[in-house]
Amino acid sequence: MTFSLIGRCTRTGRLGLGITTYSLAVGGRCEGVAANVGVCKTQAFPNRTNDPLGIKLLAQGYLPAEVMNKFATNDTEHSYRQIAIMDRDGKIAAHTGPGCRGWAGHKEAADCVAFGNGLLGPQVLDGMIAGFLENPGDALEYRLMRAIEGGRDAGGQGPADAHRTERSAAIKVVDRRDFPDVDVRVDVHETAVEELRRVLEEFKLYEEFYRGRDTDPSKAIPQDVFVKQLDARRARA
Amino acid sequence: MTFTIVARCPKSGQVGIGIATYSICVGLYCNGLSGNVGATMTQAFVNQGNNPLALRLLAQGYSPDHVMAELKANDPNHEYRQIAVIDRLGRLAAYSGPKNRGWAGHVTGEGYVSMGNVLAGKPVVDAIAKAYEDSANLSFERRLLAAIEAGRDAGGQVGNDGHLTERSAAVMVYGDYDHAEIDLRVDLHDKAIEELRRAFEEYELYRGYYKERSKNPKDAMPQYAFVQSLAKGKKEAAQ
Repeated sequence: MTFSLIGRCTRTGRLGLGITTYSLAVGGRCEGVAANVGVCKTQAFPNRTNDPLGIKLLAQGYLPAEVMNKFATNDTEHSYRQIAIMDRDGKIAAHTGPGCRGWAGHKEAADCVAFGNGLLGPQVLDGMIAGFLENPGDALEYRLMRAIEGGRDAGGQGPADAHRTERSAAIKVVDRRDFPDVDVRVDVHETAVEELRRVLEEFKLYEEFYRGRDTDPSKAIPQDVFVKQLDARRARA
Repeated sequence: MTFTIVARCPKSGQVGIGIATYSICVGLYCNGLSGNVGATMTQAFVNQGNNPLALRLLAQGYSPDHVMAELKANDPNHEYRQIAVIDRLGRLAAYSGPKNRGWAGHVTGEGYVSMGNVLAGKPVVDAIAKAYEDSANLSFERRLLAAIEAGRDAGGQVGNDGHLTERSAAVMVYGDYDHAEIDLRVDLHDKAIEELRRAFEEYELYRGYYKERSKNPKDAMPQYAFVQSLAKGKKEAAQ
């Protein structure tokens, strides 16, 4: 049981994945997000080797649909997997195997694909897509955050009489460089989506400071000084 | 302001990192591990391009010393970085640039680098090294965790106004696969190492279940049933 959305920002070409689930530490199983290549995520009963393989195949120039064909022939348990693939142009392939449990499905919309299993119903995917499309001018990480929150607010995981909370969540966004632009995680928490929102908002306050430390270290102020300035700004606000 | 162990397990050949820092979301920067290639980490004033470049150079067959020289040649701000590079054989290179702030330094041993900056002093990196060496009977990931816990207990980080708590932490291990064996993070917490230990012990209970579920999905019990069996086991153990 998991709900996820892969999205692309058409203005910047940035790619990303937002994901949340009842399972622990889901962000530690999201290797398939590669700058200037694409995004590949296998969930439900995940085949961990799919995502690295999918990224290599996309990098070789295969279309998402053909990558999916190769997954089908490479995995005896393909019918238990749920997989979504998006390449750097926004082309999408998705698969919800009949072996996925509970309500399971996927849905495409502009620049995104939502997919989930063990869900309350299709309204969860609709909630994710609505969240993603709500503010198309926002940075991709915020659109992915809204997507996860939209899925949660539409009922999330479990049947109506047995709701399952989100215990881990993650957002990963890549731009042009071969390390992530944004990569925030909550691994073990009772309300992981709320906690992820808190981590994301905090990270965004530090993002520019951390980048400046990298590119222009001689001008960087010490972090404890930066934190004091941040606290003072918060106190005024 | 960070303390870290980067290591290659001599028993399994796995590579891993244990890291904790006052900065938030440190796991974001730990993209320098690759099974059968090596382990690398750049910290202090991070150059985010270093880890991917160093891994590619290791994969091409360059020695850690050579990789370090390449990182130096490629970075006008090299003196601000703190870097560890370990290859698949356990050979290593380590560097604490003169422009790291506070007390900064590293110690190395067989297949590992203990390093940190803005620390209480050398006892922190010594404690990390000692805890790693003294825990050879434990699993590799437990050794990495024990190492950063020892760094914390030896005084950890000290800023302008005294001790700085660990606000993020991570433990990661890569083995035979292109994906992590374990990749656990705490991104924003007042006691990130304690929280990482909690997350780790909880995740350990699920690891076998998650692995089996992937390999043999049709026989997998629903996760909620698994969670209930865990709770029952904990209750019985408490009695």
